[in-house]
Amino acid sequence: MSAIDFSDPATIAFLTEALTAAGASGLEISWPGGRLRIVIATGNEAGVDVSVTPRPAPTAQPLVVVKAPMAGHFYPGSPSRQAATDRLPSVLAADILGFLRVGPLLLPLCAGRAGILTKQLAEPDALVGFGDPLFEIEPQS
Amino acid sequence: MPETFDSPPRFDTVLIANRGEIATRIQKACRELGLKTVVVYSEADRQAPYGKTADSALCIGPSSAAKSYLNKDALLLAARLTGAGAIHPGYGFLSENAAFADAVEKAGLAFIGPSASSIEAMGDKISAKRAMIAAGVPCVPGPDTALSDDPAAVERLALEIGYPVIIKAAGGGGGRGMRVVPEAGLLQEAVALTREEARQAFGSPSLYMEKFLQHPRHIEIQVLCDTHGNAVWLGHRDCSMQRRHQKVVEEAPAPGISPDVIRPVGRACVEACRQIGYQGVGTFEFLYEDGAFYFIEMNTRLQVEHPVTEMTSGIDIVQAQIKVAQGDPLELAQADVKCEGHAFECRINAENPDTFLPSAGVITSLALPEGMGIRVDTHIHAGYKVPPYYDSLIAKLIVHAPTRAEAMARMREALAGTRVDGISTNIPFLRALFEDSAFTRGETDIHYLEQWLKQRRAP
Repeated sequence: MSAIDFSDPATIAFLTEALTAAGASGLEISWPGGRLRIVIATGNEAGVDVSVTPRPAPTAQPLVVVKAPMAGHFYPGSPSRQAATDRLPSVLAADILGFLRVGPLLLPLCAGRAGILTKQLAEPDALVGFGDPLFEIEPQS
Repeated sequence: MPETFDSPPRFDTVLIANRGEIATRIQKACRELGLKTVVVYSEADRQAPYGKTADSALCIGPSSAAKSYLNKDALLLAARLTGAGAIHPGYGFLSENAAFADAVEKAGLAFIGPSASSIEAMGDKISAKRAMIAAGVPCVPGPDTALSDDPAAVERLALEIGYPVIIKAAGGGGGRGMRVVPEAGLLQEAVALTREEARQAFGSPSLYMEKFLQHPRHIEIQVLCDTHGNAVWLGHRDCSMQRRHQKVVEEAPAPGISPDVIRPVGRACVEACRQIGYQGVGTFEFLYEDGAFYFIEMNTRLQVEHPVTEMTSGIDIVQAQIKVAQGDPLELAQADVKCEGHAFECRINAENPDTFLPSAGVITSLALPEGMGIRVDTHIHAGYKVPPYYDSLIAKLIVHAPTRAEAMARMREALAGTRVDGISTNIPFLRALFEDSAFTRGETDIHYLEQWLKQRRAP
Protein backbone atom coordinates (compact mmCIF):
# COMPACT_ATOMS: atom_id res chain seq x y z
CA MET A 1 0.00 0.00 0.00
CA SER A 2 1.20 3.53 -0.70
CA ALA A 3 2.57 5.47 2.24
CA ILE A 4 1.69 8.85 0.68
CA ASP A 5 -0.92 10.86 2.59
CA PHE A 6 -3.06 12.36 -0.16
CA SER A 7 -4.99 14.49 2.31
CA ASP A 8 -1.80 16.32 3.27
CA PRO A 9 -2.00 19.93 1.94
CA ALA A 10 1.69 19.82 1.01
CA THR A 11 1.12 16.74 -1.15
CA ILE A 12 -1.91 18.35 -2.80
CA ALA A 13 0.05 21.53 -3.49
CA PHE A 14 2.89 19.54 -5.00
CA LEU A 15 0.53 17.53 -7.25
CA THR A 16 -1.31 20.70 -8.33
CA GLU A 17 1.96 22.32 -9.30
CA ALA A 18 3.09 19.26 -11.23
CA LEU A 19 -0.23 19.00 -13.09
CA THR A 20 -0.16 22.67 -14.01
CA ALA A 21 3.42 22.39 -15.25
CA ALA A 22 2.52 19.34 -17.33
CA GLY A 23 -0.52 21.07 -18.84
CA ALA A 24 -2.81 18.31 -17.50
CA SER A 25 -6.46 19.16 -16.85
CA GLY A 26 -6.81 17.19 -13.65
CA LEU A 27 -6.31 14.01 -11.70
CA GLU A 28 -8.32 11.68 -9.52
CA ILE A 29 -6.86 9.22 -7.05
CA SER A 30 -8.89 6.75 -5.02
CA TRP A 31 -7.57 4.67 -2.17
CA PRO A 32 -9.30 2.44 0.34
CA GLY A 33 -9.78 5.30 2.78
CA GLY A 34 -10.81 8.11 0.46
CA ARG A 35 -10.51 10.02 -2.78
CA LEU A 36 -8.59 13.03 -4.07
CA ARG A 37 -9.72 15.01 -7.10
CA ILE A 38 -7.78 17.96 -8.49
CA VAL A 39 -9.20 19.93 -11.42
CA ILE A 40 -6.97 22.53 -13.05
CA ALA A 41 -9.36 25.29 -14.11
CA THR A 42 -8.74 27.88 -16.82
CA GLY A 43 -6.37 30.49 -15.51
CA ASN A 44 -4.52 27.78 -13.59
CA GLU A 45 -6.72 28.01 -10.52
CA ALA A 46 -7.07 24.53 -9.24
CA GLY A 47 -10.14 23.08 -7.58
CA VAL A 48 -9.42 20.43 -4.98
CA ASP A 49 -11.83 17.94 -3.49
CA VAL A 50 -10.53 15.55 -0.85
CA SER A 51 -12.88 13.15 0.82
CA VAL A 52 -11.51 10.82 3.42
CA THR A 53 -13.69 7.99 4.59
CA PRO A 54 -13.30 7.37 8.29
CA ARG A 55 -11.06 4.36 8.64
CA PRO A 56 -13.11 1.42 9.95
CA ALA A 57 -12.13 -0.21 13.18
CA PRO A 58 -9.58 -2.96 12.61
CA THR A 59 -11.37 -6.20 11.76
CA ALA A 60 -10.27 -9.59 10.55
CA GLN A 61 -7.97 -9.40 7.56
CA PRO A 62 -9.56 -10.19 4.19
CA LEU A 63 -9.58 -13.81 3.16
CA VAL A 64 -6.77 -15.00 0.94
CA VAL A 65 -7.62 -17.26 -2.01
CA VAL A 66 -5.04 -19.73 -3.23
CA LYS A 67 -5.41 -19.96 -7.02
CA ALA A 68 -4.21 -22.51 -9.56
CA PRO A 69 -0.91 -21.35 -11.08
CA MET A 70 -1.66 -23.28 -14.30
CA ALA A 71 -4.10 -25.81 -15.72
CA GLY A 72 -4.11 -29.30 -14.22
CA HIS A 73 -6.03 -31.83 -12.15
CA PHE A 74 -6.53 -30.78 -8.55
CA TYR A 75 -5.52 -33.00 -5.65
CA PRO A 76 -6.12 -31.61 -2.17
CA GLY A 77 -4.10 -32.76 0.82
CA SER A 78 -0.52 -33.83 1.03
CA PRO A 79 1.12 -37.22 1.53
CA SER A 80 2.15 -36.25 5.03
CA ARG A 81 -1.30 -35.51 6.42
CA GLN A 82 -5.03 -35.93 6.01
CA ALA A 83 -6.99 -34.20 3.29
CA ALA A 84 -6.90 -30.47 3.86
CA THR A 85 -10.55 -30.02 4.68
CA ASP A 86 -10.94 -32.85 7.16
CA ARG A 87 -10.37 -30.22 9.80
CA LEU A 88 -9.72 -26.53 9.85
CA PRO A 89 -6.00 -26.53 10.44
CA SER A 90 -3.66 -23.71 11.01
CA VAL A 91 -1.31 -23.52 8.09
CA LEU A 92 2.06 -21.95 7.63
CA ALA A 93 2.99 -20.07 4.47
CA ALA A 94 5.22 -22.91 3.30
CA ASP A 95 2.67 -25.67 3.95
CA ILE A 96 1.59 -27.75 0.98
CA LEU A 97 -2.19 -27.77 0.73
CA GLY A 98 -2.47 -30.00 -2.30
CA PHE A 99 -1.16 -30.64 -5.78
CA LEU A 100 -1.89 -30.01 -9.41
CA ARG A 101 -1.30 -33.11 -11.51
CA VAL A 102 -0.01 -32.20 -14.95
CA GLY A 103 0.75 -35.40 -16.82
CA PRO A 104 3.23 -37.35 -14.70
CA LEU A 105 4.12 -34.29 -12.61
CA LEU A 106 2.66 -33.23 -9.29
CA LEU A 107 2.94 -29.50 -8.76
CA PRO A 108 2.74 -28.57 -5.05
CA LEU A 109 0.23 -25.91 -4.03
CA CYS A 110 1.63 -23.87 -1.14
CA ALA A 111 -0.51 -21.84 1.26
CA GLY A 112 1.64 -18.77 0.67
CA ARG A 113 0.23 -17.20 3.85
CA ALA A 114 -0.06 -18.34 7.45
CA GLY A 115 -3.60 -18.65 8.79
CA ILE A 116 -6.62 -20.88 9.12
CA LEU A 117 -7.59 -22.95 6.13
CA THR A 118 -11.32 -22.27 5.95
CA LYS A 119 -12.45 -23.69 2.64
CA GLN A 120 -11.50 -25.95 -0.21
CA LEU A 121 -13.02 -24.47 -3.37
CA ALA A 122 -12.48 -27.17 -6.00
CA GLU A 123 -13.50 -30.80 -6.10
CA PRO A 124 -10.82 -33.48 -5.85
CA ASP A 125 -9.62 -34.60 -9.31
CA ALA A 126 -11.36 -31.62 -10.98
CA LEU A 127 -9.73 -30.12 -14.03
CA VAL A 128 -8.87 -26.57 -13.06
CA GLY A 129 -7.52 -23.73 -15.14
CA PHE A 130 -5.09 -20.90 -14.55
CA GLY A 131 -6.37 -18.64 -11.77
CA ASP A 132 -9.19 -20.91 -10.62
CA PRO A 133 -9.74 -20.61 -6.83
CA LEU A 134 -8.64 -23.71 -4.86
CA PHE A 135 -8.46 -22.80 -1.16
CA GLU A 136 -9.51 -19.99 1.13
CA ILE A 137 -7.31 -18.94 4.04
CA GLU A 138 -8.12 -16.59 6.88
CA PRO A 139 -4.75 -14.93 7.53
CA GLN A 140 -3.33 -14.68 10.99
CA SER A 141 -0.62 -12.20 11.72
CA MET B 1 8.16 -30.79 -54.30
CA PRO B 2 4.68 -31.94 -53.37
CA GLU B 3 4.31 -33.20 -49.84
CA THR B 4 3.34 -36.75 -49.12
CA PHE B 5 -0.19 -37.06 -47.83
CA ASP B 6 -0.18 -38.93 -44.55
CA SER B 7 -3.47 -39.94 -43.00
CA PRO B 8 -4.26 -37.33 -40.36
CA PRO B 9 -5.44 -38.54 -36.96
CA ARG B 10 -9.25 -38.71 -36.57
CA PHE B 11 -10.65 -36.75 -33.67
CA ASP B 12 -13.90 -36.18 -31.82
CA THR B 13 -12.89 -33.15 -29.75
CA VAL B 14 -11.55 -29.85 -31.05
CA LEU B 15 -9.69 -27.33 -28.91
CA ILE B 16 -10.38 -23.80 -30.13
CA ALA B 17 -7.17 -21.84 -29.69
CA ASN B 18 -8.73 -18.44 -30.19
CA ARG B 19 -11.26 -16.02 -28.77
CA GLY B 20 -14.10 -13.69 -29.68
CA GLU B 21 -16.38 -14.11 -32.65
CA ILE B 22 -14.23 -16.72 -34.34
CA ALA B 23 -14.29 -18.95 -31.24
CA THR B 24 -18.09 -18.83 -31.44
CA ARG B 25 -18.03 -19.52 -35.20
CA ILE B 26 -15.73 -22.55 -34.86
CA GLN B 27 -17.77 -23.90 -31.98
CA LYS B 28 -20.93 -23.74 -34.12
CA ALA B 29 -19.24 -25.61 -36.98
CA CYS B 30 -17.95 -28.31 -34.61
CA ARG B 31 -21.35 -28.77 -33.00
CA GLU B 32 -23.00 -29.17 -36.40
CA LEU B 33 -20.44 -31.83 -37.24
CA GLY B 34 -21.12 -33.66 -33.97
CA LEU B 35 -17.74 -32.79 -32.51
CA LYS B 36 -17.10 -31.78 -28.90
CA THR B 37 -15.34 -28.50 -28.21
CA VAL B 38 -12.80 -27.28 -25.70
CA VAL B 39 -12.63 -23.54 -25.23
CA VAL B 40 -9.49 -22.03 -23.74
CA TYR B 41 -9.51 -18.50 -22.46
CA SER B 42 -7.43 -15.89 -20.73
CA GLU B 43 -8.47 -14.38 -17.41
CA ALA B 44 -9.88 -11.36 -19.27
CA ASP B 45 -12.19 -13.68 -21.21
CA ARG B 46 -13.35 -15.70 -18.18
CA GLN B 47 -16.96 -14.57 -18.70
CA ALA B 48 -17.02 -15.04 -22.49
CA PRO B 49 -20.27 -16.76 -23.53
CA TYR B 50 -18.65 -19.39 -25.76
CA GLY B 51 -16.90 -20.80 -22.67
CA LYS B 52 -20.29 -21.63 -21.19
CA THR B 53 -21.54 -23.45 -24.29
CA ALA B 54 -18.39 -25.53 -24.81
CA ASP B 55 -18.08 -29.12 -23.63
CA SER B 56 -15.01 -28.08 -21.62
CA ALA B 57 -13.53 -24.69 -20.87
CA LEU B 58 -10.17 -23.98 -19.34
CA CYS B 59 -8.35 -20.82 -18.37
CA ILE B 60 -4.83 -20.99 -19.76
CA GLY B 61 -3.27 -17.78 -18.53
CA PRO B 62 -3.48 -14.12 -17.65
CA SER B 63 -4.95 -11.43 -19.90
CA SER B 64 -1.77 -10.79 -21.85
CA ALA B 65 -2.03 -12.64 -25.19
CA ALA B 66 1.64 -13.55 -24.98
CA LYS B 67 0.92 -15.51 -21.80
CA SER B 68 -2.35 -17.08 -22.97
CA TYR B 69 -3.46 -17.26 -26.61
CA LEU B 70 0.13 -17.13 -27.87
CA ASN B 71 1.46 -19.54 -25.26
CA LYS B 72 2.09 -22.73 -27.25
CA ASP B 73 2.90 -24.84 -24.18
CA ALA B 74 -0.26 -23.76 -22.35
CA LEU B 75 -2.38 -24.61 -25.40
CA LEU B 76 -0.79 -28.03 -25.85
CA LEU B 77 -1.15 -28.74 -22.14
CA ALA B 78 -4.84 -27.76 -22.31
CA ALA B 79 -5.33 -30.15 -25.25
CA ARG B 80 -3.66 -32.94 -23.31
CA LEU B 81 -5.63 -32.33 -20.11
CA THR B 82 -8.98 -32.19 -21.91
CA GLY B 83 -8.37 -35.04 -24.34
CA ALA B 84 -8.75 -32.86 -27.43
CA GLY B 85 -7.66 -34.56 -30.64
CA ALA B 86 -7.33 -31.45 -32.77
CA ILE B 87 -6.56 -27.76 -32.44
CA HIS B 88 -8.28 -25.10 -34.52
CA PRO B 89 -6.18 -21.92 -34.45
CA GLY B 90 -8.79 -19.59 -36.00
CA TYR B 91 -7.13 -16.47 -37.43
CA GLY B 92 -4.43 -14.25 -35.93
CA PHE B 93 -2.58 -15.46 -32.81
CA LEU B 94 -0.83 -18.78 -33.73
CA SER B 95 -2.78 -19.53 -36.90
CA GLU B 96 0.20 -18.96 -39.21
CA ASN B 97 2.90 -20.08 -36.81
CA ALA B 98 4.74 -23.00 -38.41
CA ALA B 99 6.46 -23.97 -35.14
CA PHE B 100 3.08 -24.27 -33.41
CA ALA B 101 1.60 -26.36 -36.25
CA ASP B 102 4.67 -28.59 -36.03
CA ALA B 103 4.39 -28.92 -32.24
CA VAL B 104 0.70 -29.85 -32.55
CA GLU B 105 1.51 -32.55 -35.11
CA LYS B 106 4.40 -33.85 -33.00
CA ALA B 107 2.05 -34.09 -30.01
CA GLY B 108 -0.04 -36.53 -32.09
CA LEU B 109 -2.87 -34.02 -32.58
CA ALA B 110 -4.42 -32.71 -35.78
CA PHE B 111 -3.70 -29.08 -36.63
CA ILE B 112 -6.77 -27.76 -38.45
CA GLY B 113 -4.83 -25.95 -41.11
CA PRO B 114 -2.02 -26.66 -43.54
CA SER B 115 1.20 -28.44 -42.66
CA ALA B 116 3.99 -26.60 -40.88
CA SER B 117 6.11 -26.75 -44.04
CA SER B 118 3.36 -25.10 -46.13
CA ILE B 119 2.97 -22.33 -43.55
CA GLU B 120 6.71 -21.82 -43.51
CA ALA B 121 7.02 -21.79 -47.31
CA MET B 122 4.21 -19.25 -47.76
CA GLY B 123 5.38 -17.18 -44.78
CA ASP B 124 8.59 -16.38 -46.61
CA LYS B 125 7.41 -14.00 -49.33
CA ILE B 126 10.36 -14.76 -51.62
CA SER B 127 9.84 -18.53 -51.56
CA ALA B 128 6.08 -18.00 -51.92
CA LYS B 129 6.61 -15.84 -55.00
CA ARG B 130 8.96 -18.45 -56.48
CA ALA B 131 6.32 -21.16 -55.95
CA MET B 132 3.63 -18.98 -57.53
CA ILE B 133 5.75 -18.19 -60.59
CA ALA B 134 6.42 -21.92 -61.01
CA ALA B 135 2.67 -22.60 -60.91
CA GLY B 136 1.84 -19.85 -63.40
CA VAL B 137 0.25 -17.49 -60.86
CA PRO B 138 0.76 -13.88 -62.04
CA CYS B 139 3.13 -11.92 -59.79
CA VAL B 140 4.17 -8.29 -59.39
CA PRO B 141 7.17 -7.46 -61.68
CA GLY B 142 10.39 -8.07 -59.75
CA PRO B 143 12.72 -11.04 -59.13
CA ASP B 144 11.88 -13.99 -56.89
CA THR B 145 15.20 -13.66 -55.11
CA ALA B 146 16.38 -11.69 -52.10
CA LEU B 147 17.76 -8.22 -52.67
CA SER B 148 21.52 -8.08 -53.06
CA ASP B 149 23.74 -6.37 -50.48
CA ASP B 150 25.53 -4.60 -53.34
CA PRO B 151 24.09 -1.04 -53.69
CA ALA B 152 24.97 -0.90 -57.40
CA ALA B 153 23.08 -4.13 -58.09
CA VAL B 154 20.06 -2.79 -56.15
CA GLU B 155 20.11 0.39 -58.24
CA ARG B 156 20.33 -1.57 -61.49
CA LEU B 157 17.38 -3.72 -60.45
CA ALA B 158 15.22 -0.69 -59.56
CA LEU B 159 15.96 0.86 -62.97
CA GLU B 160 15.11 -2.41 -64.67
CA ILE B 161 11.74 -2.69 -62.84
CA GLY B 162 11.04 1.04 -63.20
CA TYR B 163 10.18 3.57 -60.47
CA PRO B 164 8.21 3.69 -58.24
CA VAL B 165 9.35 0.45 -56.62
CA ILE B 166 8.51 -1.04 -53.24
CA ILE B 167 11.02 -2.64 -50.86
CA LYS B 168 9.52 -5.39 -48.72
CA ALA B 169 10.72 -7.63 -45.88
CA ALA B 170 10.68 -11.30 -46.92
CA GLY B 171 9.22 -12.22 -43.53
CA GLY B 172 6.78 -9.31 -43.39
CA GLY B 173 3.07 -9.07 -44.02
CA GLY B 174 -0.08 -7.23 -43.03
CA GLY B 175 1.31 -3.95 -44.29
CA ARG B 176 4.40 -4.01 -42.07
CA GLY B 177 8.04 -3.99 -43.22
CA MET B 178 7.66 -2.21 -46.53
CA ARG B 179 8.70 1.11 -48.04
CA VAL B 180 7.77 2.80 -51.33
CA VAL B 181 10.63 4.41 -53.28
CA PRO B 182 9.43 6.99 -55.81
CA GLU B 183 12.84 7.92 -57.24
CA ALA B 184 16.45 6.77 -57.43
CA GLY B 185 17.79 9.32 -54.93
CA LEU B 186 15.81 7.78 -52.08
CA LEU B 187 16.62 4.15 -52.84
CA GLN B 188 19.67 3.35 -50.69
CA GLU B 189 18.30 4.96 -47.55
CA ALA B 190 14.97 3.12 -47.98
CA VAL B 191 16.77 -0.20 -48.38
CA ALA B 192 18.90 0.39 -45.27
CA LEU B 193 15.89 1.41 -43.14
CA THR B 194 13.68 -1.46 -44.29
CA ARG B 195 16.50 -3.97 -43.79
CA GLU B 196 16.97 -2.85 -40.21
CA GLU B 197 13.21 -2.91 -39.58
CA ALA B 198 13.01 -6.41 -41.05
CA ARG B 199 15.90 -7.60 -38.90
CA GLN B 200 14.26 -6.27 -35.74
CA ALA B 201 10.60 -7.06 -36.47
CA PHE B 202 10.82 -10.35 -38.35
CA GLY B 203 14.19 -11.76 -37.29
CA SER B 204 15.55 -11.75 -40.85
CA PRO B 205 17.08 -8.89 -42.83
CA SER B 206 16.07 -10.49 -46.13
CA LEU B 207 14.35 -8.03 -48.51
CA TYR B 208 12.92 -8.11 -52.00
CA MET B 209 11.91 -5.47 -54.53
CA GLU B 210 8.82 -5.14 -56.69
CA LYS B 211 7.10 -2.66 -58.95
CA PHE B 212 4.86 -0.39 -56.87
CA LEU B 213 1.35 -0.25 -58.27
CA GLN B 214 -0.29 3.18 -57.94
CA HIS B 215 -4.02 2.47 -57.80
CA PRO B 216 -4.57 -1.22 -57.27
CA ARG B 217 -7.55 -3.03 -55.78
CA HIS B 218 -7.11 -5.87 -53.27
CA ILE B 219 -8.66 -9.02 -54.68
CA GLU B 220 -8.57 -12.45 -53.01
CA ILE B 221 -9.18 -15.97 -54.18
CA GLN B 222 -10.37 -18.53 -51.63
CA VAL B 223 -9.10 -22.09 -52.03
CA LEU B 224 -10.01 -25.34 -50.34
CA CYS B 225 -7.75 -28.41 -50.62
CA ASP B 226 -7.94 -31.88 -49.12
CA THR B 227 -5.27 -34.41 -48.20
CA HIS B 228 -5.96 -36.48 -51.32
CA GLY B 229 -4.68 -33.99 -53.87
CA ASN B 230 -8.07 -32.40 -54.63
CA ALA B 231 -8.39 -28.62 -54.69
CA VAL B 232 -11.04 -26.09 -55.68
CA TRP B 233 -11.36 -22.32 -55.63
CA LEU B 234 -14.52 -20.80 -54.20
CA GLY B 235 -14.70 -17.50 -56.04
CA HIS B 236 -13.20 -14.13 -55.28
CA ARG B 237 -13.52 -11.22 -52.86
CA ASP B 238 -12.74 -7.54 -53.00
CA CYS B 239 -11.11 -6.26 -49.81
CA SER B 240 -9.95 -2.88 -51.10
CA MET B 241 -11.79 -0.90 -48.43
CA GLN B 242 -8.89 -0.65 -46.00
CA ARG B 243 -7.66 1.75 -43.36
CA ARG B 244 -3.99 1.49 -42.44
CA HIS B 245 -3.80 -1.88 -44.23
CA GLN B 246 -6.67 -3.22 -42.10
CA LYS B 247 -9.75 -4.37 -43.98
CA VAL B 248 -12.98 -2.64 -42.99
CA VAL B 249 -15.54 -3.88 -45.53
CA GLU B 250 -15.27 -6.92 -47.79
CA GLU B 251 -17.46 -8.10 -50.61
CA ALA B 252 -17.91 -11.08 -52.89
CA PRO B 253 -17.64 -11.26 -55.80
CA ALA B 254 -15.23 -8.43 -56.63
CA PRO B 255 -17.30 -6.00 -58.74
CA GLY B 256 -16.48 -5.37 -62.37
CA ILE B 257 -14.20 -8.38 -62.94
CA SER B 258 -15.56 -10.74 -65.55
CA PRO B 259 -15.47 -14.50 -65.02
CA ASP B 260 -13.25 -14.83 -68.10
CA VAL B 261 -10.60 -12.65 -66.47
CA ILE B 262 -10.68 -14.27 -63.02
CA ARG B 263 -11.08 -17.93 -64.08
CA PRO B 264 -7.49 -18.50 -65.28
CA VAL B 265 -6.20 -16.90 -62.07
CA GLY B 266 -8.39 -19.18 -59.94
CA ARG B 267 -7.18 -22.20 -61.87
CA ALA B 268 -3.56 -21.13 -61.39
CA CYS B 269 -4.15 -20.84 -57.64
CA VAL B 270 -5.53 -24.35 -57.53
CA GLU B 271 -2.56 -25.60 -59.55
CA ALA B 272 -0.18 -23.87 -57.13
CA CYS B 273 -1.90 -25.63 -54.21
CA ARG B 274 -1.46 -29.00 -55.90
CA GLN B 275 2.19 -28.28 -56.63
CA ILE B 276 3.02 -27.36 -53.05
CA GLY B 277 0.81 -30.07 -51.55
CA TYR B 278 -1.35 -27.55 -49.75
CA GLN B 279 -4.06 -28.84 -47.38
CA GLY B 280 -6.99 -26.98 -45.85
CA VAL B 281 -8.29 -23.51 -46.61
CA GLY B 282 -6.14 -20.71 -47.90
CA THR B 283 -6.37 -17.33 -49.55
CA PHE B 284 -4.34 -15.96 -52.44
CA GLU B 285 -4.12 -12.20 -52.17
CA PHE B 286 -3.65 -10.14 -55.34
CA LEU B 287 -3.30 -6.56 -56.35
CA TYR B 288 -5.46 -5.84 -59.40
CA GLU B 289 -4.75 -2.92 -61.67
CA ASP B 290 -5.62 -2.20 -65.32
CA GLY B 291 -7.13 -5.63 -65.80
CA ALA B 292 -4.11 -7.56 -64.53
CA PHE B 293 -3.59 -9.59 -61.33
CA TYR B 294 -0.40 -9.54 -59.29
CA PHE B 295 0.12 -12.07 -56.47
CA ILE B 296 1.16 -10.49 -53.16
CA GLU B 297 0.89 -13.25 -50.57
CA MET B 298 -0.93 -16.36 -49.48
CA ASN B 299 -2.70 -16.53 -46.14
CA THR B 300 -2.47 -20.09 -44.86
CA ARG B 301 -5.49 -19.89 -42.56
CA LEU B 302 -9.14 -19.05 -42.27
CA GLN B 303 -9.76 -15.37 -43.09
CA VAL B 304 -11.87 -12.95 -41.07
CA GLU B 305 -13.85 -12.28 -44.26
CA HIS B 306 -14.60 -15.94 -45.09
CA PRO B 307 -18.39 -15.42 -44.52
CA VAL B 308 -18.86 -13.43 -47.75
CA THR B 309 -17.59 -16.43 -49.70
CA GLU B 310 -19.79 -18.75 -47.63
CA MET B 311 -22.82 -16.60 -48.48
CA THR B 312 -22.16 -16.59 -52.24
CA SER B 313 -20.91 -20.18 -52.59
CA GLY B 314 -23.24 -21.81 -50.05
CA ILE B 315 -20.27 -23.75 -48.66
CA ASP B 316 -19.53 -23.81 -44.92
CA ILE B 317 -15.80 -23.12 -45.11
CA VAL B 318 -15.11 -23.87 -41.42
CA GLN B 319 -16.86 -27.23 -41.60
CA ALA B 320 -15.04 -28.04 -44.84
CA GLN B 321 -11.75 -27.15 -43.17
CA ILE B 322 -12.47 -29.49 -40.24
CA LYS B 323 -13.49 -32.34 -42.56
CA VAL B 324 -10.22 -31.95 -44.48
CA ALA B 325 -8.33 -32.17 -41.18
CA GLN B 326 -10.20 -35.43 -40.49
CA GLY B 327 -8.79 -36.78 -43.74
CA ASP B 328 -12.08 -36.69 -45.65
CA PRO B 329 -11.92 -36.08 -49.40
CA LEU B 330 -13.56 -32.90 -50.70
CA GLU B 331 -17.28 -33.39 -51.26
CA LEU B 332 -17.29 -31.20 -54.34
CA ALA B 333 -15.43 -30.73 -57.61
CA GLN B 334 -14.76 -27.38 -59.29
CA ALA B 335 -17.81 -27.79 -61.52
CA ASP B 336 -19.99 -28.00 -58.39
CA VAL B 337 -18.87 -24.59 -57.13
CA LYS B 338 -21.54 -22.06 -58.06
CA CYS B 339 -21.27 -18.57 -56.64
CA GLU B 340 -24.52 -16.66 -56.66
CA GLY B 341 -25.62 -13.18 -55.68
CA HIS B 342 -23.55 -10.61 -53.84
CA ALA B 343 -22.39 -10.43 -50.21
CA PHE B 344 -20.90 -7.72 -48.01
CA GLU B 345 -19.25 -7.95 -44.63
CA CYS B 346 -18.79 -5.03 -42.24
CA ARG B 347 -16.35 -5.40 -39.39
CA ILE B 348 -17.92 -3.90 -36.28
CA ASN B 349 -15.05 -2.68 -34.13
CA ALA B 350 -15.08 -1.35 -30.58
CA GLU B 351 -13.44 1.93 -31.48
CA ASN B 352 -14.17 5.61 -31.76
CA PRO B 353 -15.74 6.22 -35.20
CA ASP B 354 -13.72 9.42 -35.71
CA THR B 355 -10.37 8.79 -34.05
CA PHE B 356 -10.43 4.97 -34.36
CA LEU B 357 -9.01 4.67 -30.84
CA PRO B 358 -10.05 1.38 -29.21
CA SER B 359 -12.99 1.52 -26.82
CA ALA B 360 -13.22 -1.06 -24.04
CA GLY B 361 -16.00 -1.38 -21.48
CA VAL B 362 -19.37 -2.92 -20.75
CA ILE B 363 -22.03 -3.18 -23.48
CA THR B 364 -25.09 -1.88 -21.68
CA SER B 365 -27.61 -2.82 -24.35
CA LEU B 366 -27.50 -4.25 -27.81
CA ALA B 367 -29.68 -4.60 -30.91
CA LEU B 368 -28.57 -6.82 -33.79
CA PRO B 369 -30.40 -7.05 -37.10
CA GLU B 370 -32.19 -10.17 -38.26
CA GLY B 371 -33.95 -11.18 -41.45
CA MET B 372 -33.54 -12.75 -44.84
CA GLY B 373 -29.98 -12.51 -46.15
CA ILE B 374 -28.62 -11.09 -42.88
CA ARG B 375 -26.07 -12.88 -40.72
CA VAL B 376 -24.24 -11.67 -37.62
CA ASP B 377 -21.14 -13.47 -36.38
CA THR B 378 -20.46 -12.32 -32.85
CA HIS B 379 -19.86 -13.32 -29.25
CA ILE B 380 -21.13 -10.14 -27.61
CA HIS B 381 -24.32 -9.64 -25.59
CA ALA B 382 -25.79 -6.99 -23.32
CA GLY B 383 -23.61 -6.95 -20.20
CA TYR B 384 -20.54 -8.26 -22.05
CA LYS B 385 -17.34 -6.51 -21.08
CA VAL B 386 -15.09 -5.73 -24.05
CA PRO B 387 -11.55 -6.26 -22.75
CA PRO B 388 -8.85 -3.78 -23.73
CA TYR B 389 -6.18 -6.40 -24.40
CA TYR B 390 -7.07 -7.71 -27.84
CA ASP B 391 -8.18 -6.82 -31.36
CA SER B 392 -11.17 -4.47 -31.38
CA LEU B 393 -13.35 -6.66 -33.66
CA ILE B 394 -16.55 -7.46 -31.76
CA ALA B 395 -18.92 -8.54 -34.54
CA LYS B 396 -19.21 -9.13 -38.27
CA LEU B 397 -22.34 -8.03 -40.05
CA ILE B 398 -22.85 -9.96 -43.26
CA VAL B 399 -25.58 -9.58 -45.87
CA HIS B 400 -26.41 -11.43 -49.08
CA ALA B 401 -28.77 -10.44 -51.91
CA PRO B 402 -29.22 -11.26 -55.61
CA THR B 403 -27.36 -8.14 -56.85
CA ARG B 404 -24.70 -5.76 -55.50
CA ALA B 405 -27.17 -2.87 -55.36
CA GLU B 406 -29.65 -4.96 -53.39
CA ALA B 407 -26.89 -6.18 -51.06
CA MET B 408 -25.84 -2.56 -50.42
CA ALA B 409 -29.42 -1.61 -49.62
CA ARG B 410 -29.72 -4.60 -47.29
CA MET B 411 -26.50 -3.61 -45.52
CA ARG B 412 -27.80 -0.05 -45.04
CA GLU B 413 -30.92 -1.48 -43.42
CA ALA B 414 -28.89 -3.90 -41.32
CA LEU B 415 -26.57 -1.13 -40.12
CA ALA B 416 -29.58 1.04 -39.29
CA GLY B 417 -30.88 -1.81 -37.12
CA THR B 418 -27.58 -2.33 -35.29
CA ARG B 419 -27.03 -0.63 -31.96
CA VAL B 420 -24.28 -1.21 -29.41
CA ASP B 421 -24.59 0.97 -26.29
CA GLY B 422 -22.06 1.57 -23.54
CA ILE B 423 -18.96 1.61 -25.73
CA SER B 424 -17.98 3.41 -28.92
CA THR B 425 -18.13 1.50 -32.19
CA ASN B 426 -17.39 2.25 -35.84
CA ILE B 427 -21.08 1.78 -36.80
CA PRO B 428 -21.67 5.51 -37.61
CA PHE B 429 -18.60 5.45 -39.87
CA LEU B 430 -19.85 2.30 -41.67
CA ARG B 431 -23.30 3.86 -42.16
CA ALA B 432 -21.70 6.91 -43.77
CA LEU B 433 -19.47 4.76 -45.97
CA PHE B 434 -22.45 2.84 -47.34
CA GLU B 435 -23.96 6.17 -48.45
CA ASP B 436 -20.83 7.14 -50.40
CA SER B 437 -21.44 7.39 -54.13
CA ALA B 438 -18.04 6.09 -55.30
CA PHE B 439 -18.27 3.04 -53.04
CA THR B 440 -21.83 2.51 -54.22
CA ARG B 441 -20.59 2.48 -57.84
CA GLY B 442 -17.85 -0.02 -56.84
CA GLU B 443 -14.30 -0.73 -58.03
CA THR B 444 -12.63 1.73 -55.63
CA ASP B 445 -8.92 1.13 -54.99
CA ILE B 446 -7.03 0.39 -51.76
CA HIS B 447 -6.27 4.08 -51.14
CA TYR B 448 -9.86 5.23 -51.48
CA LEU B 449 -10.93 4.90 -47.85
CA GLU B 450 -7.95 6.87 -46.50
CA GLN B 451 -8.69 9.67 -48.98
CA TRP B 452 -12.40 9.58 -48.10
CA LEU B 453 -11.56 9.89 -44.41
CA LYS B 454 -9.20 12.81 -45.10
CA GLN B 455 -11.94 14.63 -47.01
CA ARG B 456 -14.44 14.05 -44.20
CA ARG B 457 -11.99 15.50 -41.67
CA ALA B 458 -11.25 18.54 -43.84
CA PRO B 459 -13.11 21.69 -42.66
